[in-house]
Amino acid sequence: MSNQKQAADPRMQEENDQSSAGLVSAFFAAIGEPIVYVTRTVKELSALFLVTIKYVIAGKRRPDEVVAQMFEIGNRSVVFIAVTLGFLGMILIYQAGFQAMKITGDLTLLGALFLQLLMREFGPTITALMIATRVGTGMAAELGSMVVTDQVDAMKMCAAEPIEYLVVPRFIASTIMVIVLTIVAVLISYLAGALTAYTAFDVNFRTYFDLGFVSYFDIIIGLTKALAYGMTIPIIACHAGLNVFGGSEGVGRATTQSVVNASLAVVVIDFIISGLGYVVLALF
Amino acid sequence: MIEVRDLTKYHFGRPVLENVSFRVKEGTNLGLIGPGGAGKTLLLKIICGLVEPDSGNTFIKGQKVQGLALQELTQLRFDIGLLFQNYALFDYLNVTENIAFPLRQAGKHTNKEILKMVQESLNSVDLPHIGHQYPNELSGGMKKRVGFARAVIPKPPIVLYDDPTAGLDPVTSSKIFLFLKAMKEERGVTSITISHDIEGIRDICDSFVLLNKGKVVFYGSRDEIENTQLSLARQFWHGFSDDELG
Repeated sequence: MSNQKQAADPRMQEENDQSSAGLVSAFFAAIGEPIVYVTRTVKELSALFLVTIKYVIAGKRRPDEVVAQMFEIGNRSVVFIAVTLGFLGMILIYQAGFQAMKITGDLTLLGALFLQLLMREFGPTITALMIATRVGTGMAAELGSMVVTDQVDAMKMCAAEPIEYLVVPRFIASTIMVIVLTIVAVLISYLAGALTAYTAFDVNFRTYFDLGFVSYFDIIIGLTKALAYGMTIPIIACHAGLNVFGGSEGVGRATTQSVVNASLAVVVIDFIISGLGYVVLALF
Repeated sequence: MIEVRDLTKYHFGRPVLENVSFRVKEGTNLGLIGPGGAGKTLLLKIICGLVEPDSGNTFIKGQKVQGLALQELTQLRFDIGLLFQNYALFDYLNVTENIAFPLRQAGKHTNKEILKMVQESLNSVDLPHIGHQYPNELSGGMKKRVGFARAVIPKPPIVLYDDPTAGLDPVTSSKIFLFLKAMKEERGVTSITISHDIEGIRDICDSFVLLNKGKVVFYGSRDEIENTQLSLARQFWHGFSDDELG
């Protein structure tokens, strides 16, 4: 009886309709908002990347600043990368050896397969994730604080273009140093794995250091990934830093945004290059 | 020399500047006064093209600022010096390199000439021996004077001062106002000065704009503001409160 009454009341009916419409609109807003955000961010990042490339080719040469950034990105990260990748090498070899012992007991391919995996996947990707955490956040925070203290505006007023002055040296330095750090990381992880294999499973070094599984293709895939990560991380970090608003709270937001976006980008790029790599391998 | 025409700017849907219009004649100094949050700093940033307005335009030496290509805007900024409210000194450069920065960007001088000009500039702001120091080693007043030196070292015909004496002691404030006076009288600079120090800018400005809640509530000469019957302007000029501002 009560339900019939409610259904008959036109005002109640209108309120119900409005509430349904509100739910539908909230549903689409919830789906649409992240899509709009991702589309806008990708568009802005692409624009920043293109402008950066333009200045790399035709801008002022500032080798001192590039070297300073290379020191900041490379030298200051090498211990962090070496320790992380060294431990990762030990853990992976121990786990792989442990599982292999349970199934086949054959450890002769341990080193060869691990090297291939390191070159194609773990070396460049884990290094890039570490760089995104250590260097990317630093770049976003540094540029973000320059924005909130008007230093970027002061730069513009002094006829200096912030992208050319701030982004380009970081971009060049990161592109070079991520490749260098990836090579260092692969070597250290492989050596740490060798020591673990010898200590835990008595695999001699001659058996472990087997390059038989590594092809030029693996090296090209690994270096391509390192190159792509090296270019992507500073673009994402500098974009986050240069778009800061709202004081120190905004700087905090930018560093979080930088590390989240850069990590996501590394994983997506890893997937794309790996996928394309297998397609190319199948074709040739 | 500087013309602001019907400027409107919204921030998160709220108008922060509404139909702002005024002119600054060549060689004169316009005082931009008003309570905090009235939109004064934003207005300066729009004038020199750092922020885009939602509608309206600014003209510098007859050239429309909005819609200029980046290269044209960069060229125009060689003619404008801006002293930022919070100094905006580059914290990774020492004082010498901070002041030298615009000269190095212009690329018209040798390193020797630049260093000589920087030293002259430091002497003129009574800070001859701090060239090697970094901004975090300086007091607020010293930072302000270094910021002033950096803004004027390329000898721009237009200088915009954003609250040049904010937070400074009376002695340093009076020194800063003397610099501003010298810029106008000796170099014939056209300028806009934001300040809450009415005593200080009373003598160095030729005309005044009073902004309140993003709107121009008074625009006129020094004599006009001194004799105005407009309550808001009288209140701000004479420094008493009857709760109309705010």
